[in-house]
Amino acid sequence: MNHSSEDDSHYELFVRRFTHFEPDLRRFLRSMLPTHTDTDEVLQQTAIVILKKFDQYDPETHFMKWACVIGRFEALAYRRKMARDRHVFREDILSLIAHESFEEIDQQNLEEEALEHCLSQLQGSQRKLVELAYTPGIKVKDLAAEAGSTPEAFYMRLNRIRRNLMKCIEAKTLSLSAEGGHA
Amino acid sequence: MNPKQSRFEDLTREEQGWIESYIDGTLSETDFRAMEDRIATDPSYRAIFRRYLAMDSHLFANPGSGEAERPATGAWLRDETRPLSPSRLSILTPLAIAAGIAFFSGLAFMHWLSPSESIVAEKQEEASAEGFAVIENLSAPVWKEGVDAKRTGDTLSKESFELESGTAEIQFFSGATMIVAGPANISLTSAWEATCHEGRVRMRVPPAARGFKLHAPSTEIIDLGTEFGLEVTDREAHVEVFDGEIEFKHRGGEKRLVEGGAAWKLPIDGSESPTQTGQAKIPNQNDFESQTSELNRADFDRWTKHRDRLSRDPRLIAYYTFEQDGGHLPDLAATTSHNHDGAIVLAEPVDGRWPGLKSGLEFRRPGARVRVNIPGEFEAFTFSAWVRIDSLDRQYNALFLGDGYETGEPHWQIDDQGRMMLSIMVDDSRPNRTNKRGRGFHHIYFSPTMWDLSMSGQWLHLASTFDPSARKVSHFVNGALIHEEPITDEFLIEQLRIGNGDIGNWSQPFREDPTWAIRNLNGMIDELAIFKQALSNEEIVALFQNSRVGR
Repeated sequence: MNHSSEDDSHYELFVRRFTHFEPDLRRFLRSMLPTHTDTDEVLQQTAIVILKKFDQYDPETHFMKWACVIGRFEALAYRRKMARDRHVFREDILSLIAHESFEEIDQQNLEEEALEHCLSQLQGSQRKLVELAYTPGIKVKDLAAEAGSTPEAFYMRLNRIRRNLMKCIEAKTLSLSAEGGHA
Repeated sequence: MNPKQSRFEDLTREEQGWIESYIDGTLSETDFRAMEDRIATDPSYRAIFRRYLAMDSHLFANPGSGEAERPATGAWLRDETRPLSPSRLSILTPLAIAAGIAFFSGLAFMHWLSPSESIVAEKQEEASAEGFAVIENLSAPVWKEGVDAKRTGDTLSKESFELESGTAEIQFFSGATMIVAGPANISLTSAWEATCHEGRVRMRVPPAARGFKLHAPSTEIIDLGTEFGLEVTDREAHVEVFDGEIEFKHRGGEKRLVEGGAAWKLPIDGSESPTQTGQAKIPNQNDFESQTSELNRADFDRWTKHRDRLSRDPRLIAYYTFEQDGGHLPDLAATTSHNHDGAIVLAEPVDGRWPGLKSGLEFRRPGARVRVNIPGEFEAFTFSAWVRIDSLDRQYNALFLGDGYETGEPHWQIDDQGRMMLSIMVDDSRPNRTNKRGRGFHHIYFSPTMWDLSMSGQWLHLASTFDPSARKVSHFVNGALIHEEPITDEFLIEQLRIGNGDIGNWSQPFREDPTWAIRNLNGMIDELAIFKQALSNEEIVALFQNSRVGR
């Protein structure tokens, strides 16, 4: 059964590449789409298309670039299906964001490293708040109600923390490139 | 300037707010269009937008990243508890299911994709507690906007304590005590130091805490073992010594020693001058205490109304509120035909959730338990209890266990990792599936870890439902659903019973091994309700809300 084992290694390569680049691809799609649910949906659709077309992929070339092309196309297709009342960017803006995000992959990876560090600097209670805010299935409204607080107060705190994280990321990464980047 | 060098903090509040509200799903249509125009025309704004969204994506995909330590439960809500989130699964996991086997012919590959492989194992954390002060008492607190509500017993660390109105008593670990009346804004620095930016404060410093420093806007006060009051308004501070002595230094000037019965006016931009005592309204322990007990009483009365209402719920099998009467634990469920009163064995009466007003039982001694007998057959169960865990000393720590664990009988307990467990014996005549030494055919429905040592001494509302008709088991902590699991065909059991059983222990273990057999809960219970129906998630939330302290 030569055929089957060849298939297996083919799939295995796909899964390896895909799972490796999945966070980057998610980030790429997130910049174009209004919510995480939309992002998940397009990411999954992208994964299916990549798998279907995987025999066209040249392992010598960069997987991420190839995946981004497919992802951008899927995001545009998804956009057309979306309800008009949703906060969805105009097509030209979406393409512009996609183009720049694509150019920026390396910079964004740097920023992600910085974010990891900045997160570790947060106070315990701030970290917990961020984790709660991003835990699936948790509704901010319920959280706030149970704590005798309001969603507005929760978002205010969350936004303050995210603002600090942005400040921290930018302090780490922008000063670097301002000084001419890595040698 | 390179557009990529622009920073989020350089944006106007409005421009920042667009991105924040866009992410939180609260942006208006008009503002969305305004943001879109900005994105279209300004490359700097676009770069910042992408950076923010990239951060959002990372936080979403790695809710617990950046720290090896498992996040402590208890979290933002203090006495509330949330399940822990492992790293999100790969998007390929649902894809593998959705796409079906057609794509994935290799078995090895399927194995590779299995969810259990993808979940990052939870790490055990060491017991630790942070903070240097604790809230001893609260009376009618209203917190400043944007500040999360605090509760009695919360530990405080380096943070600002902002009270809109009401009174709080803070006990520093140095031994110093501070009574604060709102509106107040206090920065807590350490067990030995704090700053009062605004508000009225009474400090009591016992000899052990001599040297405690309290800062006012332009004054440093060193307490030399005393009781004194401080009022800070926007223009001046006012200090008054009731007993003992203090030393203060105003606007970098000379140190002054002040003894009991003296008061000083400390203008923020002027020199200090002696003044008459009794001018500042310094909060007082006595009136604070009477207010607290009044509130406590009102809160307790609210609960008794809830109790009286609940006891008439026809779905109750038994309802114990632990207002015991000698060795007797009355069942308050009004509609049951049997007498399900419990017999208290070795469990000790203690203060319950409203000290002085309501009692509970402590199950600290290995033999402590309440014996109950509940005949009948049921179609579902809900267990709901208020529990204060001191520590999880046993491998399994009992909440409510059926004696023999025979077919249809429940075991509701917590394991030593802080996971809630509910199991019903499916068939005691069939062998145990996983453990040869185990008894009978059953399945344990575990919640994620919901308790750790940092929560010791906190009252928690725990509830679990067993619902054969909806085929699911759910666990709740403080009204929040933390785990839901389907009942598979294999483990379906529809005729449930209790018979003889124990609250807080297990009477008839079928193995002698003490680490396994002794299951007394090192903690207290002060309310337990058992229903013959699976309450809905909303009903559990209501049950928690209606029976909690200080609603």
